[in-house]
Amino acid sequence: MKIETTLAGSYPKLPTQPGEINVRVVRNRRDQGKATDQEVSDAIRETTRRVIGIQERAGIDIPVDGQAAWDDAQTYFARGLGGVQIAGLIRYLDTNTYYRQPEIVGPVSWMKPVTVDDFRAAQGMAQRPLKALLPGPYSLYRFSKDLHYKKPEEALQALGEALAREAGALEEAGARWIHFEEPWLGRARGEESANVRTALEPLFKGRKARTVVHVPFASPTAVFDAIRDLGWSAIGLDLTEAPAAWDLLPRVPAGRTVALGLVNARNTRLEDAEDVARSVARARAAAPGLEFQLSPSASLEYLPADKAELKVSRLVEAAQLASRNGG
Amino acid sequence: MPRGLWTTTVGSFPKPPSLEKARNQHARGELSAEALEALEREETIRLLRRQEEIGLDILVDGELYRGDMTTYFAELMPGFAISNPVRSYGNRYYRKPIAVGPIRRKKPLTVDWWKFAQAQTSKPVKGMLTGPYTMMDWSFNEYYPSREAMAMDLAEAIREEALALQEAGAKYIQIDEPAVSVRPEELPLAVRALGRAVEGLKAKTITHVCYGDFDVIYPALLDLPVDMIDLELANSRYDLLDRFRAQPFTKEIGYGVLDVHSHRVESKDEVKQGILRGLQVLKPEQMYVDPDCGLKTRTMDEAFAKLEVMVAAVREVREEQGITV
Repeated sequence: MKIETTLAGSYPKLPTQPGEINVRVVRNRRDQGKATDQEVSDAIRETTRRVIGIQERAGIDIPVDGQAAWDDAQTYFARGLGGVQIAGLIRYLDTNTYYRQPEIVGPVSWMKPVTVDDFRAAQGMAQRPLKALLPGPYSLYRFSKDLHYKKPEEALQALGEALAREAGALEEAGARWIHFEEPWLGRARGEESANVRTALEPLFKGRKARTVVHVPFASPTAVFDAIRDLGWSAIGLDLTEAPAAWDLLPRVPAGRTVALGLVNARNTRLEDAEDVARSVARARAAAPGLEFQLSPSASLEYLPADKAELKVSRLVEAAQLASRNGG
Repeated sequence: MPRGLWTTTVGSFPKPPSLEKARNQHARGELSAEALEALEREETIRLLRRQEEIGLDILVDGELYRGDMTTYFAELMPGFAISNPVRSYGNRYYRKPIAVGPIRRKKPLTVDWWKFAQAQTSKPVKGMLTGPYTMMDWSFNEYYPSREAMAMDLAEAIREEALALQEAGAKYIQIDEPAVSVRPEELPLAVRALGRAVEGLKAKTITHVCYGDFDVIYPALLDLPVDMIDLELANSRYDLLDRFRAQPFTKEIGYGVLDVHSHRVESKDEVKQGILRGLQVLKPEQMYVDPDCGLKTRTMDEAFAKLEVMVAAVREVREEQGITV
């Protein structure tokens, strides 16, 4: 059985080869008044083209656009919502990266598609269907400061519905896979279960596209029962930094897909393909009724571009081995 | 009459544009290391003068000669390689350390700079180091079998540097651990590693911890084996004080009253109210008033405008409350 490969979120934006367009340089030049916004947009487009090309040449089955225009994992989407403003920089969990904190200052409303134009443009550059990338509603809430709602569940429901509308728009634009990034599910305590469910439930209603809830950094063990029977197609688990996630495999409903995060996106040490393939075999043995994908544990943007490219190649190599071994 | 409310800063200051330009020129091979260092020294003296002028009690060298707070140390220690750029936010990138062998301190890392800075002023200058847990957590690891093994090797190296700073005369040694607040389950490791780093020190020891999941890490945070823990109060609208009411803060505290992530300069009254709220649950002799975090992300004008407000607010509170330095 073939193990499909995919990436889990954004991808490094810097080039690895001399002569390639460097969006960082162009943005710096724009900030100094030496380049135009159009030149920045062109550099973002070329970065997207390059990132898709890297994945396609490596043989990634379900590529992503790499979020070349995004400053962090949620601001780009959050600033397009009604009732949300963007505030100061704060640390993004334990990653030594930062994000601008969304502040909920009024009723959250989805006004128009935020990511659809980018998705269409990226899909136009790709040979294979891309996976669309969105923040997950529970994590978006936890990353935000709520200055409006009286009760968390009201904010969570509003964010869930807004993200469901965005997912619907992506679906209409042709997205076959939609990824919701949910790092906070790994940090949520059991008493948060009802809130987690409130946030995620709207995402899957009537959904035709396949959906993945991706949980990097930690295992969503404490709230897994709350999301287990929701309508997601796949769950992405970080099996490099969160070994407890292995115990969830037998609890995933039969017929669903698990994206096995077996290539560490937060360390430059390159995995051995045989080791990764053995881990895939272990997952198959633990949960024979499931389908599996192979992915990095998190966004590859935690790595420098040269190392990320090596990890992509190693991921594909490991998946090919695992597919052969799986018969 | 009680003493207290000493003023200081957390460590880093913004680099003047001329220095940024010189660093870029040096990186491109257009400026020699000697010329860059001469400018760094000149700007460090200027920075110390400005700290004296506004009346801070405990000074810092401003770290104008450092880039990232982990990479600076990693570049000087065998066992580390440095990665290609990794994004931290938006269009900001930094080069991240990679552990590729046993990490050792083979030469002084900061002592010469500390001596230089202290020679410029009669006020105490803090020795500033990055802690072993944070160095470990913010590096890639291609060598060590475990996070613990890497953190404890780093603890040995940093301890050697801290002892050298003390030997040179540093009365305050700050070993920053901003990473400890985000992995509560590893707090015991951070405590052990920092404990080794400060073992045998007679100087006043300080650690700076950034805002994190205090519901989980407080009061266990007080296990960090230093005299003073420096915390962000303003950024969290002083909600840590509610925790201190429930579980008293038993160490000295670096009491952050300036939001370093905001361009806005706080009003004197706002800072004063923040200090007065602190005095409801803390003793003045426990409190060292400072910004929430390093000021390097602000402009120099913003940084000093904020610090001037802070010092003015502290003076008023001291006068009104009869607190001496």
